[in-house]
This record gives sequence, structure tokens and C-alpha cells, in this order.
Amino acid sequence: MEIATSRSGRLSLTVFFWLLVVLLYLPIAFLALFSFNEGDPSFPLSGFTTHWYGDVLANRVLVSSLGRSAAVATASSLIAVALGVLVSFALLRRRFFGKPAVSALVFSPLVIPYLVFGISLLLLFALVDKLLTDWFGVYIGLGLHAIVVGHVVVALPYTILTILPLLERLSVSLEEAAKDLGANTQETFRRVTLPLLMPALVSAFLIAFTLSFDEYAIASFLAGSEQTWPVYLFAQLRVPSLLPQLIAVSSVVFIASMLLILSAEIGRRIAEHRYGREFSARGLA
Amino acid sequence: MTTADVTASTTSWKRRERRTTAGLLSAPMLWLALFFVAPVVYVAAYSIGAITLFPTDTGVISFDDWNHFLRGGSVYMGLFWKSIRISLTVSVVVVLLAYPIAYFLALCVRRMKYVLLLVVIVPFLTSFLLRVLAWKVILGDRGVVNSLLFSLHIRSPDDPVSWLLYSQFAVMLVLAYVWVPFVALPIFASLDNLDRSLLEASSDLGADRWRTFWRVTLPLSAPGVVAAFVFVFVPTIGEFVTPLLVGGPSGYLYGNAIQDLFTRGTDWQSGSVLAMFLLIVVAGLMALFGRFVQVRSVATD
Repeated sequence: MEIATSRSGRLSLTVFFWLLVVLLYLPIAFLALFSFNEGDPSFPLSGFTTHWYGDVLANRVLVSSLGRSAAVATASSLIAVALGVLVSFALLRRRFFGKPAVSALVFSPLVIPYLVFGISLLLLFALVDKLLTDWFGVYIGLGLHAIVVGHVVVALPYTILTILPLLERLSVSLEEAAKDLGANTQETFRRVTLPLLMPALVSAFLIAFTLSFDEYAIASFLAGSEQTWPVYLFAQLRVPSLLPQLIAVSSVVFIASMLLILSAEIGRRIAEHRYGREFSARGLA
Repeated sequence: MTTADVTASTTSWKRRERRTTAGLLSAPMLWLALFFVAPVVYVAAYSIGAITLFPTDTGVISFDDWNHFLRGGSVYMGLFWKSIRISLTVSVVVVLLAYPIAYFLALCVRRMKYVLLLVVIVPFLTSFLLRVLAWKVILGDRGVVNSLLFSLHIRSPDDPVSWLLYSQFAVMLVLAYVWVPFVALPIFASLDNLDRSLLEASSDLGADRWRTFWRVTLPLSAPGVVAAFVFVFVPTIGEFVTPLLVGGPSGYLYGNAIQDLFTRGTDWQSGSVLAMFLLIVVAGLMALFGRFVQVRSVATD
């Protein structure tokens, strides 16, 4: 006998599940549908067109906002992955005083309200600029660099959460073998650990990239005059005539980020397979 | 090798390990100290007037703004409770919706469960603004819902159902929509790790399915449920983007007040008080419920 559900219970759960999946995707499907619709984004549909997509390419401001987002996402994800590898190694392979505190600190950006973090950085940059102008008569100002700084912080825990479990499976014996064969620490890292870890790093990079590319709350405080894609999108939502274009780009971004996330997941699976099920120390806070 | 040699080599090894640990951690810790801890400390300092930024700042330390806020002298305390109420409602609804999903995936599906889980979660990982935008298009006066009602002649085009958009209802609906996929995750993790033999034991001892569910399955998945609840409740208290897009005046929340104080006005000190208060509430909640939230179990499953 199946204990978890009766036959009818199972059926209703199945129906409920698929209903919810449909509801989750339906709003997005509507958007995709409207991106090919001649008139306003509403029913009844008024004819098939692809000219919204063409308009997007002609919209310089929009395209440059996408470029800025891509730049910010690339820079912040690279830094976040690099820092994430360092933290993962320290948490997993080293014993040191204050490990629980370090672990709490690196994961706390997961729960800090982005609103509070955004204004904290706004205040930081205002303060730094005030000191710089008082002392040297120069200032940095807000902009993409400020967003990168913030996105690294919020992406860091996600990169650690991706790298750490995979690093845990990566057997220490391979590195020990390399050392026994005469490789020094750097060589071992570069020629053994890093190649083995690559799928995990790519996966972490993709997750950080999608997070940053889409991030609005923090960027809205720090963008200054350099609008990233979400900041631009948000600002233009009040202009009804632009809505179809925005919907068209959003649909493309949605599909692209879905593909990125799926590749990240595939990368993670590849890494899991590569490392097998071996386990090393679990001495983690 | 003599004992002295061994001891010497272990201490030097230990010393080297300590050095490399410092090397590993220095860059990340420096980054977090400069760009995460310090800014938050500045907000705290600014909220009591310990930092001067603008010519109007006096530089005199005073807790007046805190007092004023905590005693309910401004509208902000009311907005805070409104945010809490909405977050609570959303969290409860979302957990109730996500539980059956997680239960189905963990206990009823055999082969495809991780694929199906991915199907549920993928929307969560894609554009947040896009998903909110979609609802704006659906709920508007000429949106999907209303145009459906028009074409079915239930409502006339001059008289659309206008409370769908720019209302508290819209805020709650969109927040629930946004968070359901993510919340299924911790519940799924707790149900998936459940020892099946306990269910069999319960059944062998004569309990029917409902009794097994209430007395065995549900209590054992409670940590996952609490984690799920915290996952929605904590981030939605400070929500300000969704209300901006679909909330209208009646959906104006605490987070919007903070944002306005920083972007529209120059009363950054009151804004800092509100922001710090929010942070303290979130930290308090995490201290209370944090042990249920095992970030790692979620990430690896």
C-alpha cells in the first residue's frame, strides 16, 4: 500500500501541481504572446508582428542599458566567484578560530533586505565623496562601479553555496597525489584543483550573473546617471507607448536567463558526476 | 627523525597553514568589511547623528529621531505594522500553496522529481521585474482579466474591475506568485530526507493516511515549513519594488517610505532610523528562526 497518498489523493495532488505550474508560467506566456501583438498588450489580439523586436535594436538607450547590465554582471560575478573560491577553501579545508563568525558573515547578505543594503552603500559613497572633496577636491560619485561593489556582496553567498558542496566532494587525495609527485601548492591548484573545479566555477558564475543582471533594488540607489537594464525598465514602465518594446526585451532576457540557469544546473551535475560521491571532512559551522 | 624534528616540522606546518588561511580569507573579509559591514555601521551612526553629510547635519548625537519613531509619533510605525501584516498573510498563503507541491514532488513522484522541482523553481530564478510586469499587464483596467470579462459580457468596457491593480490585493497576489517556487524548496528538502520507514511503521501500527500525515509527516517536516516561512516573511517585510509597480497609494508600504526618504527628500536621518529598525527586526527574526534555515541543505539538494 502506498502510505503517502491514497489513489484519489495522489490524483488531486497531481492536478494541483500541474495547475500551479501552469499558473506560474501563464503570466510570462502572456507577456511573450503580447510581444508579437500589433497593438496594446491586451486582448483581443490585433495581429502578428515582430516589429517591437526591431524597435528594440533601434532604441539606443535601451541597448546601452543592456550593455551596462552585462558589464556589471560580468565584473561582479568574476569577483564574486574568485572571492567565493577563497572562502570555500578556507571554510572546508582549514581549521581556524572564528569559523562560525566568518561563515555567518559571508552568508548574511542572503537575508539583509536589499533596500537597507542599497541605502547603506549610497551613504558610504556619499561619505567617501564628502571626505574626498573636503581633502582633495575630487569625488568618485555613483555609477556602475558602485553597483558592482554591491552585487559582489550579495552574489558571494550564492557562489559559495554552489562551490562549497562540490568542493566537498572533490577528493583531497588527488591534490595530495599531485604534491607527492612534486608539484608545489600553486602548481597543484593550477593544474589539478582548478581544472577539476571548473564546472562548479562556471555554474557559480552563471548564477551570480543572472542575479546581478536582474537586480533592481540595490542598483536603483547606486546607478546615478548610468542606468542598468532593470533600472531603465523600471523607469520606462510609466511610458505606455514603450511597453510592447519592454515586453519584447523582457521575453528575450527571460529565455536567456532561463538558459543560463539551466546551464548552471547542468554544470553542477557534471561536477557532481566528475567528483563522484567521495566525502571529505564535514567540519563546517 | 628525532621527536624535536617532528615537533618542529608540525609547528612550521601549522604556522604555514595559519598563514595560508589568512591569505585565503583576507581578500573576501576585506571586501565584506569595507562594502558590507562598514556601510551598515555608517547607517547606524547616521541615524543618531554621529556622522555629518549635508550642511544641515548638526553633528550632535541625539536619539530624538529614534524616540519619535518608536513612540509612534510619525506615520512610519503604522506603515511598519501594515508591512508586517501583509508579509504575514503572504507567507501563510505561500506556505499553504507550496506544501502540497513539495509533498507531491517528494513523496509521490519517483523518477522525475528533480526535473519537476527544477520546472517549479526556474521561474523564481528569472527576472523579478518581468514577473511583476506580467501581472501589471494582466490586472490592469484593460488587462487580460478585464478584457476577458468584457468579451464574456460580464462587465462593460466602461466599468472594469479596478481593484485588481493598484491595491493591497495586487501586492499580496504578486508577492505570493513571486515567492511560491522558492518556498517549495526547503519544504521539499525536509520531506525528501524523511525516513520512509517511519511512515510504514505508523501505518503498520494502524494509523490511517491522515493520521500518519498529522502525527508523523507534518511534525517531521516542520523545520522545512518554518524555514519556508522565514524565507518569504523576512525579505517581504522590506519589499518596496512590488508596491511601487502594482500597489498604488493603498499598497504603499514601509519599504516605500524608506526609499522615499532617501530618494525624494533629504531626511536621510529618519530614513536611516527606519532602515536600521528594519535591519534589527530582520536580525532578530533570523536569530529566532535561523537554526531552521539550513542554507546548505537547500543549496545542495
